[in-house]
Amino acid sequence: MKNRIIELLSEALPAVDFESEFLFSELDSLGIATILLLLSNEYHISLNASDVTPKNFMTIDSVVAMVESKLNK
Amino acid sequence: MTLEEGICLYAQKTPDKTAVICYEDKISYSDLWNMIIERAGLMNQDGLRKGMPYVFRASQDIDFIINYCAIHYLGAIAVPLEHQALQENFISIQKEVGGCDIPADIQDILYTTGTTGKSKGVMLSRTAIESCADNFICDMHYTDELLYIISGPLNHIASLFKIHPVLIAGGTVCILDGLKDINAFFDVFRLPYNRVATFMVPASLRLLMEFSYDKLCAVADRIDFIETGAAPITGKDMERLAKALPHSRLYNTLGGTEIGAVCTYDFNDGKYMEGCIGRPMKNSIVEVTPDGSIIVSGPTVMSGYVNDPESTAQVLQDGRITTSDLGYVDENGMIHLKGRRGDVINVGGFKVDPLEVENAAIGHESVKECICIAAEHPVIGPVLKLLVVLEDGFVLDKRSLAIYLKSKLEPHKIPTYYEAVDKLQRTYNGKLDRKYYRIK
Repeated sequence: MKNRIIELLSEALPAVDFESEFLFSELDSLGIATILLLLSNEYHISLNASDVTPKNFMTIDSVVAMVESKLNK
Repeated sequence: MTLEEGICLYAQKTPDKTAVICYEDKISYSDLWNMIIERAGLMNQDGLRKGMPYVFRASQDIDFIINYCAIHYLGAIAVPLEHQALQENFISIQKEVGGCDIPADIQDILYTTGTTGKSKGVMLSRTAIESCADNFICDMHYTDELLYIISGPLNHIASLFKIHPVLIAGGTVCILDGLKDINAFFDVFRLPYNRVATFMVPASLRLLMEFSYDKLCAVADRIDFIETGAAPITGKDMERLAKALPHSRLYNTLGGTEIGAVCTYDFNDGKYMEGCIGRPMKNSIVEVTPDGSIIVSGPTVMSGYVNDPESTAQVLQDGRITTSDLGYVDENGMIHLKGRRGDVINVGGFKVDPLEVENAAIGHESVKECICIAAEHPVIGPVLKLLVVLEDGFVLDKRSLAIYLKSKLEPHKIPTYYEAVDKLQRTYNGKLDRKYYRIK
């Protein structure tokens, strides 16, 4: 799943370093909106503003963990 | 009244009242005023004097307001740049403003793409800044009960010139570092304020409605007003926002660095007139010529561009600014926008000159030629897209190109989308055919 998410997000946001340890600070509101849309569509999960926390977007691993947690609900 | 006079006044009248909040930090009027005086003293020791420009990066915090007011307190000129301004741009602007004659009454120089598309220093006098604040206070009824959330960059007039009316009226400013952490926006409603207001570009409002509509509805009774502008808002978004906030005032404003805030329309009127910017505000005169050009005059307009009399003369004649906006006046005297002249692309309220992006991209080894155009993002609206004709032997490496552009341009000028094409559409005389690529 991690590789697929990196592939998907890198395609849409090529200037962002998804391997960064400080992913949240790399993103702007456009980036956040794009990620929410792409992940909602790809995994058929519901993501909203409450999910946009620095913790959930700290690294690509935390983004993956957020998706996994939504899928397990 | 100036911003500094307002802070000084409330430091005496309501010294303990909170003037500015920024996440966990807050400062009272009294402490803010004392820190401004102290900072001004330090700047003076460092050689800052009346009439001298002071270039600095606009941090998104209380310290920014202290610096900004301290510069004014000394009679110097504030030149706030984007907090991520590239060092080469910072140095070049320092040289530009340091080496030219600036009229005596100038308080701020704001760098913008704005009306002409080229990055220019807009000189704003004390009168222009005060008149703009007065427009907001009188037409939008800013009061001392207001908590105003500023989430946009503080070097941008749409955010910076909200600090003035809020603190002159004795209200409270709440600074947020953008809107990517939407929860931080809603956390503000935990504070004990019942009259909250904010400015958001249409893209941010769309974001708010798309991902947190329920939360917005839940705080509706405490939102006094929301103002938008800098880019067109759709009638559909106006209606959706009005449904979430049925009792709030919802303004669509015409403003710009060269003209100030000059016209506004409360679209919570059941009509949701797309493109409508209402009527001129207290200190502004807005005319529409027979060919549809929007011309603005009155005390809020700029004094000119720094060191650029030719560009100044192109837009400013006899105190009247000819904007790039086109419009008309309806039978009720309401002004409506119907497009813009020129090639500037509006990305979430930031005006981008496509030529600047193209000139930067052409320096990449893989780019033979390119054109920067507007493309539609499903949530945000228009974003930048770069169409690239590649040099022989290269394939499009979006990441390499985007990272290259990141080293050359400010973040809002980096295209979101990239596409390799065989050739670019040109006009009969060989120029890039920008009209062909416009969003239909």
